[in-house]
Amino acid sequence: MSYARMKFYCDDRRCIDCDGCSVACAEAHELPVGISRRKVVTLNEGVEGKEFSTSMACMHCTDAPCEQVCPVDCFYIREDGIVLHDKNICIGCGYCLYACPFGAPQFPEDNAFGTRGVMDKCTMCAGGPEPTNSAAERKLYGQNRIAEGKVPVCAAMCSTKALLVGDGEDVSNIYRQRVASRGHGVQSRPYGWSTAYGR
Amino acid sequence: MKKTVLFILMTLGAYARVISGQVPLVQTDLSASKGGDLLVSSQMIQNILHYQTWGELFVYLQVHWFRLLFAVILIGVIVVFAIHYLIIGAKVFNENCPCVLVYPLFQRVVHWIAALSFVLIIPTGLIMEFGKYLGGGEFVRISRHIHAIGTVIFIIVFIPLFYIWVRAMLLSFRDDTRWIYMLGGYLNKKHVKVPAGKFTFGQKMWFWMAILGGFVMIVTGAAMYFQNFDIALLSKLHLDQVDLLRISAITHNFVGMAILALFITHLYMSLFAIKGSLQSMITGFKSVHELKYLHHSYYRKLLTKGFISEDYEEDK
Repeated sequence: MSYARMKFYCDDRRCIDCDGCSVACAEAHELPVGISRRKVVTLNEGVEGKEFSTSMACMHCTDAPCEQVCPVDCFYIREDGIVLHDKNICIGCGYCLYACPFGAPQFPEDNAFGTRGVMDKCTMCAGGPEPTNSAAERKLYGQNRIAEGKVPVCAAMCSTKALLVGDGEDVSNIYRQRVASRGHGVQSRPYGWSTAYGR
Repeated sequence: MKKTVLFILMTLGAYARVISGQVPLVQTDLSASKGGDLLVSSQMIQNILHYQTWGELFVYLQVHWFRLLFAVILIGVIVVFAIHYLIIGAKVFNENCPCVLVYPLFQRVVHWIAALSFVLIIPTGLIMEFGKYLGGGEFVRISRHIHAIGTVIFIIVFIPLFYIWVRAMLLSFRDDTRWIYMLGGYLNKKHVKVPAGKFTFGQKMWFWMAILGGFVMIVTGAAMYFQNFDIALLSKLHLDQVDLLRISAITHNFVGMAILALFITHLYMSLFAIKGSLQSMITGFKSVHELKYLHHSYYRKLLTKGFISEDYEEDK
């Protein structure tokens, strides 16, 4: 029996930069202002044909570099590939941020000296090491929707279904189907353009 | 020394190969385990592209080298000095007067404030480095705060420390080369006249490491402490803010190793190897006997100026 390998994928041909995912995330987990577990970025803004938006959060890497560099070993990777961390062990040193290719780790202000507190990041709505759906888990990590059999809130809220989440193979199949139904890989002109106007 | 040279060469080699893009140090697998090529966006965002320069280097060093090298230095230096203590032993001088006031009150106060900051900073730094063996959590977190508090103390004392000793700490080619050649006389059981001014080359190394290295530590540490800042210069250097943090962390670790090695050396010299050394930093006085051997150039200078006389008995 093979386990599911949970992955996020944002189809940048569908993402319309609506920020629904990041707002949904912040509200669902009651994140403080300034903490963005998920954010939407637009690249090549204004460059015709090259502009696209995509939604970024923790990608739950297979060989998560954050987990490798953590000086206190506060990370753990679930069997389904979700990368989580223990906030009671985390010291807020920031090394995971330096190691992360996606800028996922977030650092809220601690109340002690107004200094950087322990790290916060996307949990793929899978909570943390505390007992599932306990008050402590909810307070530290937000909702545990995975335990309830629900899709992570960002993908659930995505209006264009650009943001896909689930077993890597399923996500891959969906995306493959989309590409196939488009008829060709990279579409540089609007559909019908060449029929109407020639080259 | 050999180890250090080898280590620097290896590091430079690693830097060069990574920066030139020849070697991906950490294979970041963004694809799904099966047939996953489609899952990698054709256009990755720019920050991710840059990741291969400093991000991968940081991960590589932090995963494989930093903790190991700190352990090697911590244990290695202590073992070397333990062996030195057993074989060569401590240097004992006649501590009775005549004495010379070497460290006036202000210098002693500055020294001990700096010492306090180091005693706060270095152990807490090591606690963070080896945090996983301590289970992380509140204890290591508090150490992180103490690390920052110690730094504030060091910043306060930094300029006075530089000011009081910079002139005496300037390198003197004649004395220092000979000092290196005879390793400060520390491999000799008998008293030998060591060419050194008010400060030996060993002390000078420590001073400049504390000042220059300390400055680098303050800057890189502050970058990591404040984390969110925007410097226009960065974009000119084609650096992302996170790259500056990565470079800071790498530098902070390497300079930290050098400071740790010399800090242990300083502790060994002052507490064990030279008897009465600790006393001299408390009272400010060093005996003429000690000066004659460990700071011979300084001794001769005092002689010619007539501050001390030569008819001094060396009772053993």
